[in-house]
Amino acid sequence: MKYSTFIRYFFLAIFNGFVIYLVPVTIAFESWFLLTIIIVISLLINLTYLTSRLKPLKWITPGMIFLLSFVVFPAAYSFYVSFTNWSTGHILTKQQAIERLEDLTYTKDDQKGVEFDLYILQDQDLDFYFLADLAPDNLLFGKAIDEEEYSQVNYATHEPSFKDLNGNISIPDKYYLLSGKEQIANSSKLQELSLLIDKNTRVQLYNISVFGASSGRLLSAQQKYSYNSETDILYDNVNNLACKLGNRGNFVCDGQIIDPGWRITVGTENYQRIVDDERFRGPLRIVTFWTFQFAFFAVFATFFVGLLLSVTLNKDSLKFQKIYRSIYILPYAIPGFISILVFKGLLNPDFGLVNEWFAPVYELFNIEPINWFRTKASSRAAVLLVNTWLGFPYMFLITTGALQSIPKELLEAAKVDGATSRQSFWKITFPLLLVSISPLLIGAFAFNFNNFTLIFLLTGGGPPIVGADVAVGYTDILISFTYDLAIAGGRGYQFGLAASVTTIIFLIVLLISAISFRYSKRLERVYGNL
Amino acid sequence: MVIYKFTNWFREFGWRHLVGLIFVTISLYPILYVITNSFADFANLQNSKLIPDTFTTKHYESLTGDPLIPYFKWLFNTYKIAGIAGFLNVLLGTFAAYAFARLKFKGRRVGLITLVLVQMFPSFLAFVAIYLLFFQIGDVAPLIGLGTHIGLIMVYLGGSIGFNSWLIKGFMDTIPTSLDEAAKVDGATDFQIFYKIVAPLSRPIIVVLFVITFIGIYSDYILAAIFLKDANLYTVALGINIVFMDDFANEWGSIAAASVIAATPIAVLFIFFQKQITGGLTAGSIKG
Repeated sequence: MKYSTFIRYFFLAIFNGFVIYLVPVTIAFESWFLLTIIIVISLLINLTYLTSRLKPLKWITPGMIFLLSFVVFPAAYSFYVSFTNWSTGHILTKQQAIERLEDLTYTKDDQKGVEFDLYILQDQDLDFYFLADLAPDNLLFGKAIDEEEYSQVNYATHEPSFKDLNGNISIPDKYYLLSGKEQIANSSKLQELSLLIDKNTRVQLYNISVFGASSGRLLSAQQKYSYNSETDILYDNVNNLACKLGNRGNFVCDGQIIDPGWRITVGTENYQRIVDDERFRGPLRIVTFWTFQFAFFAVFATFFVGLLLSVTLNKDSLKFQKIYRSIYILPYAIPGFISILVFKGLLNPDFGLVNEWFAPVYELFNIEPINWFRTKASSRAAVLLVNTWLGFPYMFLITTGALQSIPKELLEAAKVDGATSRQSFWKITFPLLLVSISPLLIGAFAFNFNNFTLIFLLTGGGPPIVGADVAVGYTDILISFTYDLAIAGGRGYQFGLAASVTTIIFLIVLLISAISFRYSKRLERVYGNL
Repeated sequence: MVIYKFTNWFREFGWRHLVGLIFVTISLYPILYVITNSFADFANLQNSKLIPDTFTTKHYESLTGDPLIPYFKWLFNTYKIAGIAGFLNVLLGTFAAYAFARLKFKGRRVGLITLVLVQMFPSFLAFVAIYLLFFQIGDVAPLIGLGTHIGLIMVYLGGSIGFNSWLIKGFMDTIPTSLDEAAKVDGATDFQIFYKIVAPLSRPIIVVLFVITFIGIYSDYILAAIFLKDANLYTVALGINIVFMDDFANEWGSIAAASVIAATPIAVLFIFFQKQITGGLTAGSIKG
């Protein structure tokens, strides 16, 4: 067998093994959506590698599967999610929600008023045991467990031997009988314990008696809701109510919404909220506006510093050029999440060195020290300052490259014609430079437009916008705002709404890309490379 | 005369050195600060300064042995994830690039343009959908669901494979086809041409793209943050930024030490490949 054939069958076998493992599981979970994807992918792969006709696909398929599954598909899926009410309380599918509801129980006081003697015992490991004297010939004994241990079925057993011939309780030596006082000392723990009799019934301590035997009572757990799939009605067994379908993916009992609900498509509701709901629209407008401002000023500031340095150092026979260049690379070489952390320390309003340096300035002008990260202006300034430090080396590198590629003859000709160096810079160098690097500037704009790491790690989006309906701050950009909405804002998971903001981001990125194509005639280059 | 000479020198060169030195200071200050602080014998951020009075290695020692701060586990996780994802990324990218560069087939142009268009949108933009997708996958196959490294690696794999295929394809186009034709005459199969001729000759770009992908994943925050919830499975970016944040000012020494360990190898790698990386970045941005 040829080497390549062997490799092909080897990986195909691994892949199919994985599929064979997944298919029954997805069926068991009734996850038809995933099942479809798995079957389509596995058919595609098997067809590709078992026939000899689709040669190019053999090379392309493995990479494309990941690209399609985790880049293209999520984009489409997030568009779908933006039309659902997928959020806290509506996380599950309807089926899952009904199963969850049917698992709920309520505790019914079985024989109200009926109490019996309950003895509390302890073994050498200090575990508690209950001995319930339900009736003269019904003495139940077993380990008392708390709610978390209910699943380890540990039912009570009949122990007639715990009573002597006279009908008095007699405990074997390995157990210790707790006195009333000892019970009081342990009462908070004891109240959480139960002796399980069967699946639905348990014994609990009811009343501690210091002199005689304490009393216990029986409790039974009943299914709280039962669902009728034919009528699509959920019955509330506690209050004897029929709960009908609400219109938001919930059952509704007597006007009360039952939790958990399930996710349903809600049409354009999320988008309407973006447009209509003032408490959401207001903050979103602030965030969107700032996202553009931030991306613009971030590019402007890094470009300005980068150009300043490249022009300054672009001088023949200037000494130490190499040393300068290699030092300017450093901020770019360090992972962003580290530099951001260091700046968080340097800018710290209470202990940071930046405020320490500026202390004389503050004193001289008799102004308050800057309260970094705590006011809108200082947070926004901090974000831009740190970004400039992080990003100027890139701009320095590309502008240096562009400057060096400008033909020297052009500048010399201008000099001969009597242009000053300022004139030749603004009339020749700068326009030529812009032409060659404008696509990179647009790329940098797009990058900063979604610069989640910087915003999230430096300010966390803060300081908060007061009065907003959602967790949002003055330095939040669209992507970090989405993150707070969906996952981390501490106000529940609002996936549907977050996905609708994601759609906005996609549209803007699309627009930026279209502009960039136009400016750089990038597609022509793409065609050239075909 | 001396003064005249100096002003002349200043006009020509001096101001350039002045501007240059100001930015040398700005560039180096935070870096030196974190390095000295990692060895400094201060208790916290409040007492920190650039040059400490006494030096110690206690902050580095504090990173080992505390089960609540499994720093070296984070580091290991990060190298593992970035290494595997980076390797598979360029491997699969090289396969795809080979087809686009050397095989003639229908839909080749469309495929290439699609690659460029798709990679306009960074994969993390759709993080809500990725989260929900893996949330559901986790029910069915807990091995690759949320909270696992395998799932995260798969997402990283999709993230830059289009970009990488495109750049490798561009490089392969510069390898003369006469080489493969000669091999074909000698009876070589496509696979042999690939792994005996085209792939080895493409090594420069493959190495650079591996480094770029590796550094990108190493520095990622958002995707790791939505995937990983168990502190033992964190990447170093998550670990430093979540665990140490509870007591930022007092943990300053440990933060500095952790930062130095996390940043140094990446910075060295970056500087070593700087020419190729920035070359690749510009070429990549212009060409797509």
